[in-house]
Amino acid sequence: MAIKTFSIKGADSRDVARQAREALADFQPKLLLFFASSVYEGPAAALSEAFPGCEIIGSSSHSEYCNAGYTSGSVSIMAMDAGSLEDVYVQVVENIGAEPDLREVMNTMHGHFGGADEILSNFERYVGIVLFESSAKAEEVFMDRLGTATDLLFVGGSSSAADGGQSLVYANGRSYTSAAVLAILKTANGYGVLKTQSAHIFSERKLAVTKSNLRNRTLYEFDHRPCGEVYAEVLGVGENEIQNYFVCNPLGVVAGDEIFVRTFNQIQDGGITLHCGLPEGTEINVLKIGDIVDDTRKALDEAIPYQPAGVINFNCLYRTLEILDKNQVEPYCALFGRYPSIGFSTNGEAFYGHINETSTILVIK
Amino acid sequence: MAGQIQRMIQTVITQKAKGNTVIANSIRTKMYLKGVAVDKFTAASPDDPAVMQKVREIAKEFGIIV
Repeated sequence: MAIKTFSIKGADSRDVARQAREALADFQPKLLLFFASSVYEGPAAALSEAFPGCEIIGSSSHSEYCNAGYTSGSVSIMAMDAGSLEDVYVQVVENIGAEPDLREVMNTMHGHFGGADEILSNFERYVGIVLFESSAKAEEVFMDRLGTATDLLFVGGSSSAADGGQSLVYANGRSYTSAAVLAILKTANGYGVLKTQSAHIFSERKLAVTKSNLRNRTLYEFDHRPCGEVYAEVLGVGENEIQNYFVCNPLGVVAGDEIFVRTFNQIQDGGITLHCGLPEGTEINVLKIGDIVDDTRKALDEAIPYQPAGVINFNCLYRTLEILDKNQVEPYCALFGRYPSIGFSTNGEAFYGHINETSTILVIK
Repeated sequence: MAGQIQRMIQTVITQKAKGNTVIANSIRTKMYLKGVAVDKFTAASPDDPAVMQKVREIAKEFGIIV
């Protein structure tokens, strides 16, 4: 058994750690990845005490997925042993709002595995996981810098929290805010990555972002005209109605066959705020949201034509709310019940860049 | 003059990828997300100085001179 996945509800974090220890009684994990409802205080410290010598990383969550189940108030755990993971190296980057240079961090991480050349020579075995604490709202700049500092592919998502809970990421037995947890995995049998957004191109018309503020995630102009006016024109609706279309018709950067979704937040200060900033010069299309279950099934079936050791699903909270609203939780979770899998409802997803309304999925072979 | 932007983009991708097609595709995607619509530029595209400067800056970030 190379990977075990399970869900726990406990009286507190110590109880969760105790149950996890029981569930892994005959298992020697090298890495524990967990997504814990924000109702639990200090889960990383409790798990570290229960599993000394094991790397443990995680994120707080609004709601959790595990195998064929969807829950809230629980902890989803994936444990990987030497059968699936040869080595793992974890670093925490704090104060990500200050836009740190990541070259030194990545040099250290590459160095642990023998350098960037070793990683590039065995590209099919190395993959990164990134977990962002979401309150800093600095993911797009961080991912841009990460992509400059390394050719390694990082997949992940941003923390969420239950109502009234605190958003956190976890590593080294500690909790962090305004931080990113980075882990490089040297897999034993390789990995796969997929991204599915259930969003399709609504209009082929390309819109150029001619005025925006990347850092405060505000969009002002498309093609040198007010963005709301142009967005309404594309949809064929009145400008005073556009907010009604924000959820169903997000924006997308279309790069070849890949769509990188940017969702709207609200009309504000003469522009429209987004959940992910867009740099000036970017060309986007207006999208339409499709059927999440159907599109996810197609994406999984195409990308995973084998029995994987484990699957990690970073699924946008918007998508969770959508499947809850449409009573599609059971068929959605059934798709992931075919594999040992965990996931959580994220406040943004990571795949080359920061994205929205998407599911980024790491498959461990 | 025309086509310089396409040539600059290709230089960045080729030099950075060093023959690895997976990395070449990832560099293309990263350039899109940085605000350069890679496939839009052809040999006939006008040499827009603002776009050329942006590609130069991206190249510099990747440690490449174009």
